[in-house]
Amino acid sequence: MDQNRQGARASYVALSVFVALWILAPSAVRRFNREAFVEFQAPALHLLGKSRDLATFWEKKSRSVEEMAAAGRDLARVNAALEIQINKYEDIRRENVRLREITHYNVPAEYMSVVARVATRDSSSWWQRIVIRKGRKDGIRPGAPVVFGNTVVGRVTAVHLTTSEVDLVTSPGFRCTAYLEGDEQNNIVLVNGVASNSLGTAKARVSVIPRDYSLLAGGQPTRVFTTGMGGVFPSRLILGYIDGGTYATQVGNFKESLLVPSRDLYNLQEVSVLVPLHQNPGEALIQGEDFQ
Amino acid sequence: MKESSDMHVLPSTPVDRLRLYGVFFFFFAGFLYVIGGLVYRQLIQSNDLKEQSDTQSRRVVLRPPARGRIYDRNGFPLVDNRARWSVKADLASLQKEFRAEYLRLLAAEKAREAVSIDREKLMEDARVRVLQGWLNKVWFVIDETNRNTKGRKSVAKLTPVTAPAERQINIDELRKHLRERRALPFTLVNDLAFPGTGQALTADDGTKSVARFIEQFPVEGPIRLDQDNVRTYPYGAMAAHVLGYVKDTDTLPDNVDDISEVRVESMQKLRYTGKTGAAGVELSYNHILSGRSGWELWSKTSSGYNQTRLKYSEPEQGSNVMLSLDYRIQQATESGLAKLKDPQGNLLPAAAVMIDIHTGEILALASQPSFDPNRLADRVSSKYYDEIEKSGGWLNRTTQGLYPPGSTFKVITATAGMRKKVVDWDEILDCGPFFRVGNRDYPEHEPVGYGEVNLDKMLAVSCNVWNYQIGLRTGIEALAAESRRFGLDAPLLQTVSDMETAGQPMTELPYAASRGLVVPDRAYKLRIGAGAWNDGDTANLSIGQGYLLTTPLHMACVAASIARGETRTVPSIIHSKERTGRHVGAEPIGLNADQLDALRGGMLRCVEEGTARVARIPGLPYAGKTGTSEYFKKGEKAHLAWMIGYAPADNPVVAFAVLVEGQTDTNTWGGKTAGPVAKEMLETWWPIAVKANQDENSKAPR
Repeated sequence: MDQNRQGARASYVALSVFVALWILAPSAVRRFNREAFVEFQAPALHLLGKSRDLATFWEKKSRSVEEMAAAGRDLARVNAALEIQINKYEDIRRENVRLREITHYNVPAEYMSVVARVATRDSSSWWQRIVIRKGRKDGIRPGAPVVFGNTVVGRVTAVHLTTSEVDLVTSPGFRCTAYLEGDEQNNIVLVNGVASNSLGTAKARVSVIPRDYSLLAGGQPTRVFTTGMGGVFPSRLILGYIDGGTYATQVGNFKESLLVPSRDLYNLQEVSVLVPLHQNPGEALIQGEDFQ
Repeated sequence: MKESSDMHVLPSTPVDRLRLYGVFFFFFAGFLYVIGGLVYRQLIQSNDLKEQSDTQSRRVVLRPPARGRIYDRNGFPLVDNRARWSVKADLASLQKEFRAEYLRLLAAEKAREAVSIDREKLMEDARVRVLQGWLNKVWFVIDETNRNTKGRKSVAKLTPVTAPAERQINIDELRKHLRERRALPFTLVNDLAFPGTGQALTADDGTKSVARFIEQFPVEGPIRLDQDNVRTYPYGAMAAHVLGYVKDTDTLPDNVDDISEVRVESMQKLRYTGKTGAAGVELSYNHILSGRSGWELWSKTSSGYNQTRLKYSEPEQGSNVMLSLDYRIQQATESGLAKLKDPQGNLLPAAAVMIDIHTGEILALASQPSFDPNRLADRVSSKYYDEIEKSGGWLNRTTQGLYPPGSTFKVITATAGMRKKVVDWDEILDCGPFFRVGNRDYPEHEPVGYGEVNLDKMLAVSCNVWNYQIGLRTGIEALAAESRRFGLDAPLLQTVSDMETAGQPMTELPYAASRGLVVPDRAYKLRIGAGAWNDGDTANLSIGQGYLLTTPLHMACVAASIARGETRTVPSIIHSKERTGRHVGAEPIGLNADQLDALRGGMLRCVEEGTARVARIPGLPYAGKTGTSEYFKKGEKAHLAWMIGYAPADNPVVAFAVLVEGQTDTNTWGGKTAGPVAKEMLETWWPIAVKANQDENSKAPR
């Protein structure tokens, strides 16, 4: 009995000592520990992602021949349709090149695209943050925009050796400027993620909407695009859709609304990180450089 | 045995027992005192103590509301609010950084073995250095010329003193902020779209600057993006004298009575700087435009910073005001005035106004030179203030400028004469090159005179001699009485508003002339010590010269009154669909139909073939009367050019007045100088009126 009590006391003391050491430890030590923990669990995250890929592979491999034949037939039709589309796009591309040559318009490729598989969603902030399987060694840098197709997924907030954390569009830590579809004046609005409870659908707030702006007619979802003016996101990427209507704030000068992200974000398997070729000033701030 | 020992617990002697009871009583009383005190504090005083505690540990922060918008009569915004993005530092969150920097500076001082260390100064330096560091970061992000190359670690350690002011922390402002508003965030960049005078930004650059901060600066941390409203005047200087401008105020309306369980009277209140009207409608309708302040209830830290926001209420925007102006006519009026320049190319001081003769609503009211209220809406540079002062731009010449009306007054002289029956519409007078009054010859402006002149011709050619004769026949009493009948001595734009002024009289445009208007008579001349009234004074008055002083708005009202056949027109700058067209104090003009026709016909002839023929508009016959009066500018004689009138001549809708202050070395005449402005106003108004009429007819049931 005494031994048990002594054991319990010892564990309390050990816990207290650990907590005290953690509190008193310099921030550099704590940061190192946190980083070390992330790197320690990185292989597990990689393994988790890969095992999910493997499971998907075997799930597909177990399909019957008939199913495969039907899928092949469907695919052939889709391929045919896509061939036509490709031809059409090729024409447009040629026309685009021709116009650029005429107008001497040359857009430099400002971003390098790095494709990354999604390792996991950060369980501490569901909907708000994902972890991807590319990190510092793959050239990922903090602050880089993350996209899926032409839809914005979020922004890289922390980069580790082999993984990176991405704040989603709906994260309170995400903020960017945007245009609303149908706004001929191209007024910039502010998109800012909002904290939501874990069971609710995550959304972002769209504010500073001009009071004379009206949503698209006919119940058509109004898209929200990046402006490309802030130096982080390329222009005309889709941030999401206006949810419901707009409502005037009490201040009265502008309206606000909520933004729901594209449905693609709900089941992300793979994303592209657009690493800017030139480091923008904001990166230095994220890295905590001294400006005094 | 036990019993016996118990027996000895209480003293046996009465004295000892008394002592014991005394001790018991003492303790009992003390106990009662403590319990009583507890009850008193907990049950009786608790509310007061809670309030005291709240007062000490909480504060209310008032946030200014957005002001209401000002529209023209068709709903075009003349005054609006634009979003202003500012960057602010939360001083409470920076405490640790301040302390760390302070300790670093202190260590450096000690290492230097300084004789005496001024710790206050060190703390101030620490705050400045930390804030400067953050300001550097902000500029590093918003300045598009910065392209952080890979491997670059930081910018300069300290911003050089040669850097533009907006890139440096203003120590005086910081001191003032810490003294007066420590709990509120300190502003690092007042307006991200226009971050400073040191860097000229286009609208696009301004938007980029905001976007760069929003996207690149970390969301979390002590530096925050704040959004409020700043007054904007989309048409720049247009109608500036009517619209006015706003200035900073620390006096915000307290609307915090509704924090139910907290009594806020005794609580400390902090206010963000708001805006209040400083001139024009912004000032006179400030009570409507202002709105309701928002409030935030904060708990305080021991060092006086805000800690947690406990409750809040958003500010409520002020109500809108709809003016009677039509921005298209206003633009045309100002464009017409802007063409009036002296030989050096400087704008001539001038005024013009157009009113609806039925309702009295003012469609355009312009005064030149003017100012751009956008440049006064935020921080006013003393240079710009002085520029306006020097040019005389603050004065609203239409409502505040006092001038002799010159020959435009002849319509009143004629009316007075006909009402007194000293002349009739068809009477012909012999009008030579001058008219002798006493021992002085009063000249005609035409060297050979006009010969035989009736009312119609007098108005067309603006014959002085006709008026000298009729003025003397009428007499000063009747002339002065007629002037008063037309309201030349009455302040205008005074109204009893039914909009939230509880029926109190108010002036629609501040400082509209209510003093200084002069309708001279015998008593007036004696009062100013200029001696007895004489016939020369009457002759002068009959042509609108001498002591008579009025404003362009008054003369526009005279024209409107004649067009309606009444004596008074009550103008208004506010648009209302409920106006009845009844004008307070108005009575029939008192002329028979022939006389009135002759008066109006003369004014039509003035435009068609008379002194205002330069302003004739083919297809739009209208009535006018020009005037050229003399005044002294810097001790030298100069001309004032006038033109009043109404249009169309047969079915009047609008009346107008134009005044131009000529320079001493220029040749300024009523028709030639003021006429083209009137023409431009009417040419713009006419198609608008025709279209409005067509729209009205198409709506009417068939």
